[in-house]
Amino acid sequence: MSEKQRKRYWMSLRQRDDAGAYMEAAGDEFSEVPDPAEKGLDRRGFLKAAGFSFGGMLVAGCTRAPVHKAIPFLVQPEDVVPGRATWYASTCGACPAGCGLLVKNRDGRPIKLEGNPDHPLSRGGLCAVGQASILGLYDSHRLRHPVQGGKQTDWAGVDKAITARLDAVRKQGGAVRFLSGTIASPTAARVIGAFLASFEDARHITYEPLSCSAILDAHARTHGVRVLPHYRFDRARLIVAFEADFLGTWISPVEFTAGYRAGRQPEGDPAAFSEHVQFESRYSLTGGKADKRYCIAPEAVRPILYRLAVRVAALAGMPAPGAGAGGESAIPVAEVDGLAERLWEARGRSLVVCGSQEIATQVLCNFINHALGNYGRTLELATPSQQNRADDAALQALLKELAGGRVRALLVHGVNPVLDLPGGEAVAKAIAAVPLVISFAARMDETARHAHFVCPDHHYLESWGDAEPVRGIVSFFQPVIAPLGETRALVESLAVWSGTPRGARELLAETWPDQAFRERTLHDGYAVVQREAVPAGAFRAGEIEPVRAVCAGDDALTLALYAKVGMFDGRHAYNPWLHELPDPVTKAVWDNYACLSPGAAQRLGVAQGDVVRIQPAGDEAAPAIELPVLVQPGQHDDLVAVALGYGAAETARFGHVGPTWLHDRPTVGPNGLVGTNAAPLLMFAGGTLRRCGRRVRLVPTGRRHVLALTQEHHTITVPQRLAPEGGLRRENIRETTLAALRANAASRPHAAAHERRDDLWPDDHPYTGHHWGMVIDLTACTGCGACVIACQVENNIPVVGKDEVRRNREMHWMRIDRYYSDTGATPDMVHQPMMCQQCDHAPCETVCPVLATVHSEEGLNQQVYNRCVGTRYCSNNCPYKVRRFNWFNYPRNDVLENMTLNPDVTVRSRGVMEKCSFCVQRIQEAKFEARRRGVALADGDIRPACQQSCPAGAIVFGDLNDPKSRLSRLIAGGRHYRVLEELNVRPTVGYLRVVRNRPQTEDHVDHG
Amino acid sequence: MASACTIEREPLIDGNKTPGEVTRDICGVLDGTPSPMWWGALAVSSSVLLLGVMAVSYQIATGIGTWGLNNTVGWAFDITNFVFWIGIGHAGTLISAVLFLVRQKWRTSVNRAAEAMTLFAVMCAGVFPLIHMGRPWFCYWMAPYPNMRGSLWINFRSPLVWDFFAISTYFLISLTFWYVGMIPDLATIRDRARSIWRKRIMGFFSLGWNGSYSTWLHYETVYLLLAGLATPLVVSVHTIVSWDFATAVLPGWHTTIFPPYFVIGAIFSGMAMVLTLMLIARKTMRLEAYITERHVGAMCKMVLFTGSCVGLAYGTEFLIAAYSNNPYEQFVFLNRALGPFAWAYWIMVSCNVIAPQFFWLKRIRRNFAAVFVLSLFVNVGMWFERFVIIVTSLHRDFLPASWASYAPTSIEIATLLGSFGLFFTCFLLFCRFIPVIAMGEVKGVLSYGRKSH
Repeated sequence: MSEKQRKRYWMSLRQRDDAGAYMEAAGDEFSEVPDPAEKGLDRRGFLKAAGFSFGGMLVAGCTRAPVHKAIPFLVQPEDVVPGRATWYASTCGACPAGCGLLVKNRDGRPIKLEGNPDHPLSRGGLCAVGQASILGLYDSHRLRHPVQGGKQTDWAGVDKAITARLDAVRKQGGAVRFLSGTIASPTAARVIGAFLASFEDARHITYEPLSCSAILDAHARTHGVRVLPHYRFDRARLIVAFEADFLGTWISPVEFTAGYRAGRQPEGDPAAFSEHVQFESRYSLTGGKADKRYCIAPEAVRPILYRLAVRVAALAGMPAPGAGAGGESAIPVAEVDGLAERLWEARGRSLVVCGSQEIATQVLCNFINHALGNYGRTLELATPSQQNRADDAALQALLKELAGGRVRALLVHGVNPVLDLPGGEAVAKAIAAVPLVISFAARMDETARHAHFVCPDHHYLESWGDAEPVRGIVSFFQPVIAPLGETRALVESLAVWSGTPRGARELLAETWPDQAFRERTLHDGYAVVQREAVPAGAFRAGEIEPVRAVCAGDDALTLALYAKVGMFDGRHAYNPWLHELPDPVTKAVWDNYACLSPGAAQRLGVAQGDVVRIQPAGDEAAPAIELPVLVQPGQHDDLVAVALGYGAAETARFGHVGPTWLHDRPTVGPNGLVGTNAAPLLMFAGGTLRRCGRRVRLVPTGRRHVLALTQEHHTITVPQRLAPEGGLRRENIRETTLAALRANAASRPHAAAHERRDDLWPDDHPYTGHHWGMVIDLTACTGCGACVIACQVENNIPVVGKDEVRRNREMHWMRIDRYYSDTGATPDMVHQPMMCQQCDHAPCETVCPVLATVHSEEGLNQQVYNRCVGTRYCSNNCPYKVRRFNWFNYPRNDVLENMTLNPDVTVRSRGVMEKCSFCVQRIQEAKFEARRRGVALADGDIRPACQQSCPAGAIVFGDLNDPKSRLSRLIAGGRHYRVLEELNVRPTVGYLRVVRNRPQTEDHVDHG
Repeated sequence: MASACTIEREPLIDGNKTPGEVTRDICGVLDGTPSPMWWGALAVSSSVLLLGVMAVSYQIATGIGTWGLNNTVGWAFDITNFVFWIGIGHAGTLISAVLFLVRQKWRTSVNRAAEAMTLFAVMCAGVFPLIHMGRPWFCYWMAPYPNMRGSLWINFRSPLVWDFFAISTYFLISLTFWYVGMIPDLATIRDRARSIWRKRIMGFFSLGWNGSYSTWLHYETVYLLLAGLATPLVVSVHTIVSWDFATAVLPGWHTTIFPPYFVIGAIFSGMAMVLTLMLIARKTMRLEAYITERHVGAMCKMVLFTGSCVGLAYGTEFLIAAYSNNPYEQFVFLNRALGPFAWAYWIMVSCNVIAPQFFWLKRIRRNFAAVFVLSLFVNVGMWFERFVIIVTSLHRDFLPASWASYAPTSIEIATLLGSFGLFFTCFLLFCRFIPVIAMGEVKGVLSYGRKSH
């Protein structure tokens, strides 16, 4: 409709006649007021404006805005949202086991490592060492530049010098030796191979401080292939382990724990619950899980295995293996025979493993597995494990070459022979005499100090790479942060020196040319590829050497060197989190020590904390070490066990870890280091590096050293003389047997047992929405401590140092209580993870004067740090003693190390109480995420750090208000109980009782 | 005359003093220059106080970690000292208020000093809840004051909040009571004062006292009312302090016997401390005529009675633990008597239960040296009682995995000593500037002016 056609309305005649002028006047109602803009700015207006703007500028200029160099993204990457985490799939490089990783990145920096639940080996778990390895990335003591002759230099100079020297070797000839730890990376293996191929006499020698060389050698003998079988604990119905700590430190503990757990599910119809028999001399974490544990001397392994082999051979109708290998069995023969029969019944579904470094013993073990038809079922040889490829014979040959001065060039990667081989000083001297030594060490370790060139490798989170821990299972490493220093990947260095410089990514692409495959693998974190089977020959037991006579009767003890769950082989000795992780069995931190059984300690007249000198028997010239005694129940009386991996030079930095005050004592020992290196007591014998078997004499020095233990007391029973009648045993651990559980499952309705009693007072928390709770399966929990470190990383928990732990002031929000049950010489061991139980009737909440700890609508017991004044009344009133007080301002001076801090969690100051929050930041994040997507929160969306990391899947978090949640089903499942239920504090954390596959006896009645 | 003595009470004040002599005897101390002994004592106590101040400053600057506490034993010396001093402070109110109401005239010789002791002890006690906090600079958060933090209030369910009110009330009432009772004596000093400053200061604080009949009448009325007000406090303060423990779930703390047990224990320890102090004051300030065998004897009997009550409480705890069939409870008490801190338990029992039994003997009650030593034993024993209750209950609680031990650090010991330094410094200054004996009240119990025999 056009303007002209529109009807015109008017109000007055004047308007009709003179529309334009009228409208102007009507619109400007106050037309008399002069418009200042017309005249320009007047004097008053100017002064007003000037005064206001000057004042405004003054106010703005006076604010005390801190000057932070926050540099925003010039171009914001599309997928980076500040405050939201990005996750990358990668592989754990903390040890050669190669577990799948998900790396949490916040604002461009990795802050947390989690297990990749899809990974076929690790199945979502990640051990303490893996969790803690992120600190290695931010270690300010890492080398940031190549080093030549002890001086910092640049890559161009190093490359020039090294290439010149290597060319000389190429021309003149001479032995080139590449010494490394297990390399499970196809690309690295290819690049190393290509590099070594350019020399006339070059060899790659692999060794591991925790060598499994005897297993590989035994398979070379029995099957004709020198490989490590891939053990399938998930398929085994009967597991018999000799001196193998497979849930703690042996080969691939996360994978084995997941498999072991999968084979031991007491629920389900019929319950699939394997039987586990452990023969061991020291008390390992694995022994603690065993259904039947025999405490034997290390020398007794072979006679028992031999007896087993003979019986199994008889049952299988096979000739018994080599004559003369026998010896007196240390345990009743009938029991061994019974075990052989059970093995035979479970043939094809049983598994015999042995951690011995004696090849003959391993051959016996292979024989039994062969006779039982376990190969191909519970042990896979066609797709062997590549997680430990140690070749001790080759290492021994190399040491001989080195000592003979026959090596022209030595390249050392990932190992520290000066520290972790016997005769370290001689090794150092021999290495120093090599004309060209190149180390790829990330830190100036004992070996790198003797190197002419140190060409630091990346941290594994900074580099491209691949891993094939088990043949056919491939996963990739991807960089999640730009390298923090001028480091360079091993493969790149080697490629440069081979004359074909390539980036690590290109090298990876050369190994895996299919781009689609690479992208898929990067996304999934792993890939299963078809590999041709390893051609195993027909079984051939061959000759089995007779057992060497044990010189019994003398006052010497057998030495067993072992790896601690936290320290592993000592390659992470720089890591304070791992030093402060309580050992699952001894609960000691920041030290290694000589474990003696109570009987042995009594015989030697030493008590816990007495420093003894460990002297190889009959060889006064041999190196001796001095260590404090730790009395360990359940250990063989003829054994002294010492942890490896301590006394590394890089631990000198821990002198002042923890608070500084009037009475503080250093975390390091008198040698200025954490612990003492026990590697000088290793020995080469029979072609392998032996950790066990040396006879030693213990001489008390008269000195004392107070060990730092997080738990002072050993058993769940109270001391006999203080025991009130009937109150000898505390009910916080409940055990049952599989037989009792089955018997009860038929007769007892379960759910009714956990109904809550009515209360005098009305419930002031109705929990109308969610009500968070947790269940921890004590049958699954191995006590490995992965959750403790996961919690520490997630929740910014400080390291407090040895002295503070001695004072019982460790800060871990989560602790794993270890209890022995008093059953004589070989006590059972049970682990109980203990953290805030988030009580519904929380005793801590009522006593806080300032309301710093309050109950949430969802049942969380919240600690409000900035309101806390630190009366510690809440902690006193906590029956579980899970609250942690900031006794000091714990030093956080290392700026680089602080990069691991989780920005979602407050860093607490001194004088403030703290405790487990059920990872409330994760609960909030999951709730926000669900709301953002417009979906309901699903069961399993929220996984606290402890649950996420648990290799055994022992921890389940969920909503108690959701009857269909996994949590609710577990609670109704019949094994559920709550610790200190009788106090009516109503904890929302429950436990599933320990089930052992034992016949029902009176000792193990199912406590209703 | 001998027959008259049988129906008449022994005089409370020896030596047939006249009111004038009383004034001279007691104010004389304030007039002269202090003795070298006083100076020496002040030097020692203020040095110890300084040591304590240094320890506390260091602790506040560095952290509670400078104490020997740990995750399991969250309280030890701090709260032990707190309860100990609060207990000491109990005798003052008892003597001044309760004994006043029940017309125990012998109280007149000791009530001033006992009340002063109460105040100083409560001051010492009050220090510990403040410094035991992780962040003492936020101690004012314990008070319910209007704030800008939303509707953030304090937790009225927390015994520590009750404590805050109980102790501040007790301190204020005790201070008022002490001050009101002192007004006539301050007027006396004012009237005797030669220096203009003393006259002015005392004139201000004596509130224009003129000694008239109506003044006395008002004064007596106020004093009686205040005594009535203060009497419930004798029971309330330590009852509430005991709730700090009794309302907790911890075996060894969670017992209903605690309120009477703590109140009796407090009176016991307070009486012992009064005895200790008065026996020193008597000797050094030549007050033999005012603090006689009768006073000491009466106090000894109180100590004996309350000590026996305390012993009964110890026994009852064991009985109830046995009767309860609660294994945690039973264990805690067996652990007290036989466990790692058994030495502390047996010090407690011997000092608190066995030592006072000597007071059955009149011979002992009249032997002031013995009384002094026994009163010291009781002081030590009562400190250990609180230590035993707090530390032995905490160090072995429900889960054996969290069991720990405890040993004090030098800082804690210096802090404990410092609290004694504070106490004695205050007390010495009190002796120097304020009449240690309530002259106005003592004059009322003199035999002077009564019917002569």
